[in-house]
Amino acid sequence: MAETVRTGARAPGIDRLGFARLLRAREAGVFIALLVLCLFLSFATDGFLTSLNLLNVGRQISLLGIMAVGMTFVLISGEVDLSVGSNYALSGLASGMAIIAGFGLIPALALGLAVGAAIGLINGLLSTYGRLPSLIATLGMLSMVRGTALIVTNGQPVTVNLRNGALPDVLAAFTKMGQGYLFGTIPMQLVFFVVVAAIAWFILSYTNFGFRIFAVGGSAKAARVSGISVNTVKIWAFVLMGLLAALAGILGLAFLPSSQAGRTGLGLELDVIAATIVGGASLSGGEGTILGTILGVLIIGVMRNGLVLMGVSPFVQELMIGLVIIIAVGIDKWTSRKAG
Amino acid sequence: MKFRNILLAATIALLPLAAHAEQKLADFKLADRIKAKIDAGKTLDFFVSYHDVSNEFAPFMKAGVERAAKDDKVNAQFIGPVGSDADGQISEIETLMGKMDGLAISSVSTDALAPVIDRVLAAGIPVVTFNTDNPNSKRLAFAGQDLVKSGVEAGKLMAKVLGGKGKVMITTIDAAAQWSLDREKGAREGLSASPDIKIVNTLNTGTDPQKIYSAIENAMLADPSINGILSLECCSTPAAGTWVERNGKTGQVKVVGFDLLDQTVELVGSGNIQATIDQAPEKQGFAAVDLLAKFLKGQPIDNVDTGVGIYTKDNIGEVAKKK
Repeated sequence: MAETVRTGARAPGIDRLGFARLLRAREAGVFIALLVLCLFLSFATDGFLTSLNLLNVGRQISLLGIMAVGMTFVLISGEVDLSVGSNYALSGLASGMAIIAGFGLIPALALGLAVGAAIGLINGLLSTYGRLPSLIATLGMLSMVRGTALIVTNGQPVTVNLRNGALPDVLAAFTKMGQGYLFGTIPMQLVFFVVVAAIAWFILSYTNFGFRIFAVGGSAKAARVSGISVNTVKIWAFVLMGLLAALAGILGLAFLPSSQAGRTGLGLELDVIAATIVGGASLSGGEGTILGTILGVLIIGVMRNGLVLMGVSPFVQELMIGLVIIIAVGIDKWTSRKAG
Repeated sequence: MKFRNILLAATIALLPLAAHAEQKLADFKLADRIKAKIDAGKTLDFFVSYHDVSNEFAPFMKAGVERAAKDDKVNAQFIGPVGSDADGQISEIETLMGKMDGLAISSVSTDALAPVIDRVLAAGIPVVTFNTDNPNSKRLAFAGQDLVKSGVEAGKLMAKVLGGKGKVMITTIDAAAQWSLDREKGAREGLSASPDIKIVNTLNTGTDPQKIYSAIENAMLADPSINGILSLECCSTPAAGTWVERNGKTGQVKVVGFDLLDQTVELVGSGNIQATIDQAPEKQGFAAVDLLAKFLKGQPIDNVDTGVGIYTKDNIGEVAKKK
């Protein structure tokens, strides 16, 4: 069965070897850009090339990275999700409020993840059976989810601590999840990112589902003809995105135990999309890799870190980040044109 | 846009502040519609437009607005944009202009809102400002904390906890915002009284909690000799305290900040934040409505300073008890 689908989807002319070569070229371009950036910062600042700083950067990019992995699936499938910043806030708040209401750790986490998955499911349904462009559907959801978070919390910050009613052992475990270290050195957030990226890489490269996502994003028509349920695949991509946004939101709250519906994750969707695009995923679908996304997230993270280390004015930082997005994608386009 | 705000703020800062005088209804050209309403003894409709109804102070402001509405026997509706959105605030006021008998406003942006305030005034509707003043407009009076003054307090407190010597970083979630520029100006003034204190820079952290923390983390690594963090607002205050706590710098790196978020209260209690300044948001909301009510009753009104509350380890217990 799996084989039939594979053959069918390959028919529209995706040359597998050429495709793979192209992906390598894309990643190489981003990798070189990252390398140049790191080399420059190593010489330009004292603080960059220290294990403490590199681990800090690793932690700082983890939440963005987890969400960018989800966004990679959505972009490859030819859609986009603008609601992830709001989802990040609401899901984290849901888990946090459950914990201070005296829930156990597992039920509280399950609640947050369920909220995230439900948002993803609604996004998916609206963008497929609802026949709305995902740009519009998720733009609407961005606002609705943010509004829900504000209504549920009445605009008040939610702080997860003992005084507000968290059970001591639940709080300890939750805190460990966000603030702990593996082997005493690697921040837990980074561990989560690595695990998520590894699983996502496996799904995208070696499973039937991964193959179908590329097929759907490459040409929905061809995929449909070859027997792939385009809507189902897309909905799953959105649900995955929703789950990962929720995971990031929960980890964020576990790291800094206070969240506020009006501020948390505000504008985060643009950072997530920017990192994914810099990593080589295409807004028009069918292209993108997990490795590329990781590199894209690293570029944005290293850039932010480096600019602060260099003491660059905050206003210039904004400008530089934008410039990097354009240059990184520009390099990507030039290399891919040569390869093609 | 942000850059323009800075230029503007610099210009305003250079202008001598006009001395403020009492305002009286007798000198104000009140709209006939409102006059008729007062004469008929009808309940007046006030609107209180806050610059971001989704932030953590909004519920307290709103509570103050409701308390004043009850005391003064008026209708007062709490409105404003979700997220600091100047266009949103302007269009909402324009929509409601026909039925408002008084407006209290905290501006998203001074230059964007000043013409709207003047237009509302020109239509014979009294306008006061609260929380964030709009000195460019012809508003009747301002109720709130004097932002520059509160910044000076913060600067002086920082100098005190540092023993008059050290390297200070200023943090803010929005370096280009009017309130931030005002407080920063005050903070720098307050610190300048101690010649041995050096201000290294102003860190613009952004508003998301993770971003705030990361920005502080990066900046402290970039310059480990910083031994004072002066936060200008609610939200980088607990982040700075958390950084100090997690990096074992309690007592070595001193933190002075603003407001009484749960985390801030805890961190003051544990000695990771040396002092925090409260702005009494409930009082500001109350004073905003109260000023309008008094004005329309014919009483003279003037600026109301809702004051500065300073909390340290010694008195933070009072807040913890109240919550």
